[in-house]
Amino acid sequence: MHNQDFPQLESVERIEQGFEAHGYVCSRKIATAVFLAFQLRKPVLVEGPPGVGKTELAKTIAVLLDTPLIRLQCYEGLDEAKALYEWKYGKQLLYTQVLKEKLGDLLKGADGLAESVERLHLFGDIFYSEEFLEPRPLLKAMQQEKGAILLIDEVDKSDYEFESLLLEILSEYQVSIPEIGTVKATTSPMVFLTSNNTRDISDALKRRCLHLYIPFPSVELEERIIQTRVPNVQEQLRHQLVAFVHSLRQLDLKKAPAISETIDWARSLLLLHADELDEEIVRSTLNVLLKYEDDIEATDSALRSLLVGEDTSQPGH
Amino acid sequence: MHSNLVSFIQMLRSHEVRVSPAETLDAVEVAAALGYADRELLRDGLAMTLAKTAEEELIFLQCFERFFKQNLADFTAPEQADSEQADATLSDENTETSDDNFDGSPENALEQAAEDSPALRSLMQGPLMQNLLNNERNELTLAMNQAAQQVDLQQIQMFTQKGQFTRRILDAMGEEQIRRAIIELEQAGNPILPLLQRYRDMLREQVRDYVEREYLLHAEGKTQQFMDEILSKTRLNNIEHVYVGKVQNLIRKMAKKLASQYSRKRKQVKRGQLDMPKTLRKGIPNDGVMFNTYWRQVKKDKPQVLAVCDVSGSVAAYAKFLLLFLYSLQDVLPRVRSFAFSSHLGEVSQYFDDYPVEKAVELVNWKYGGATDYGNSLLDFANLALADISSNTTVIILGDARNNHGDPRLDILQSIYQRSQRVIWLNPESRRSWGTGDSEMLRYQSACHFSAECNNLVHLERIVEQLLKSTR
Repeated sequence: MHNQDFPQLESVERIEQGFEAHGYVCSRKIATAVFLAFQLRKPVLVEGPPGVGKTELAKTIAVLLDTPLIRLQCYEGLDEAKALYEWKYGKQLLYTQVLKEKLGDLLKGADGLAESVERLHLFGDIFYSEEFLEPRPLLKAMQQEKGAILLIDEVDKSDYEFESLLLEILSEYQVSIPEIGTVKATTSPMVFLTSNNTRDISDALKRRCLHLYIPFPSVELEERIIQTRVPNVQEQLRHQLVAFVHSLRQLDLKKAPAISETIDWARSLLLLHADELDEEIVRSTLNVLLKYEDDIEATDSALRSLLVGEDTSQPGH
Repeated sequence: MHSNLVSFIQMLRSHEVRVSPAETLDAVEVAAALGYADRELLRDGLAMTLAKTAEEELIFLQCFERFFKQNLADFTAPEQADSEQADATLSDENTETSDDNFDGSPENALEQAAEDSPALRSLMQGPLMQNLLNNERNELTLAMNQAAQQVDLQQIQMFTQKGQFTRRILDAMGEEQIRRAIIELEQAGNPILPLLQRYRDMLREQVRDYVEREYLLHAEGKTQQFMDEILSKTRLNNIEHVYVGKVQNLIRKMAKKLASQYSRKRKQVKRGQLDMPKTLRKGIPNDGVMFNTYWRQVKKDKPQVLAVCDVSGSVAAYAKFLLLFLYSLQDVLPRVRSFAFSSHLGEVSQYFDDYPVEKAVELVNWKYGGATDYGNSLLDFANLALADISSNTTVIILGDARNNHGDPRLDILQSIYQRSQRVIWLNPESRRSWGTGDSEMLRYQSACHFSAECNNLVHLERIVEQLLKSTR
């Protein structure tokens, strides 16, 4: 990946433009992180509340560079066999059965056990070669000729042991398979790890990564995001809805609405042909923004003051 | 510029942002890739390599502002010094407005006075006074920086050194002359005196500010570290109330460190996942027929920790911190059950489930405090928990073993000792006083795998680390 020329990643400005062309409006910081990841050949650990576009970032880069996106979703109990590689045991078994007779032929005329073993050695470890290897996402990413975007999603959900497994891959872009040797990436992939902060990532892993924290966006940025993602929303409505979402985030909610929810909400308002926010329409669509009954109830009572506060902040309306 | 970056990283480290040498190299690369032209870009880029949590990033931003602002002022003295010395301008103006009380400019007034006094005349010739009189702010800043270098201000470590360094810088700048002149004028009763005093105060204020800034830059974090170090070596019952909060933070930090070192191992059969390699291997003796199936396993050790704490007056302070520590380690020690006793014993785990740790500790102290009876308490403990003690149980007992001459019931402790993986006895008294007076420690010690003196945080950490090693 890094060995190739990607004019799209030449400078921070070009990255910003490229992202915007593909519908991902990002802050300068995010573009800087991508730029550095490319320049320094470092993985990026992306943290932030759910729904701020962590996964989307990796997807967008894959589209931007027109490279395959290989995704590894982490969960508790994820291990080597699922993430890295596995032997095709079934195939190995089948082949041993089929080749049983062949083996007899091969060993015919051998004098004693020692010589038989000697002859077998000549054939090497045929059953432990690449043909019997089932690559899983991490190994697959190493094998891509033209490089790839490797997205290790929600790494905080995996176990500590799995993190240690990642260390070799992230710093050297290589995988050690005991039976074969070391598989080194021909072109090192661009790696993004995302974390929702459900637990602390180990220092060793953090040290190998660039750390990017994506917070909830500012009002201006979110308006730009809505503008690109849902272009049909009228400007006035856009102001209103973004301001409303921002005031929602100030409340004590179980889960504050994220960007993805704002986008969904903008889309649903568009479908309902709403031109501006009023109490009724907000109440009926609140479930798009808030995912907990408690949150909806808490907001419901504060709804009027939230909307009024918004009107005063929009004197032109 | 590299040395600048390195001293910036030094500063970050002193503010508790952990930066490894590898990350320093990364930072250098980042700086090279981004260039120094765009300040914000550089800041964001460095933040990504040097600050690895959201909290660290906040600290980073603060440090960045402070550090690079300071250096800019140094490099571009002519323009920047203006803003730097804004205070000076202010006080200068004050001086000048009040000078209106005199007839003519302050210079003239001084010159007049100088004619009467030889000391003042020689002072007038000195560069310091000239600069002050002519309001040469750049020259003054320069002189101050030079003086600071002369006295090694960068070595400032503690906030108590601030006064000392201020004094030394002033001396190096030649403030003594002004002082002497003031004494002269005082003796002569000269009306110019307040003016000179104002100059002196202004100068002092400037230097004080400067030292303050440098202190924040270089030493604030060090003082913090020093404080932490002292606290972790202080006997826990001597820690004053105001510092308890700080100690709790320390404990949490230590616990976190230990927890990340000893994350738990689990061994669990994964139902439905055949362990093919093992099944194949085990089938070889049966001529390749896979007679037995083997299932995938993950390692999962579940150590159990029983903490038994004496909460009578003499030991309560220690018990509090031990419990705090154990419960901060919940991630690594999944099953901590805690018991508290003085005259009788009861299980207090429930409090820790229901309340935050600090609150629970208070409740336990309140409920079980009183005179100690080890025999009775051990009996209670055996009734409650002996059946649960198995070969992967660690029992930690915290107490001074002072039994008021009652029956120690060593036999109970021995039976615990035989059943459990480990019995650890932590005694806040120093080893020398074990066995003196009504202390039964030497006898109890015989039925412990490990007994140790434990009266400060360093001890506590060491012991808990041992505990973790053994439960791994």
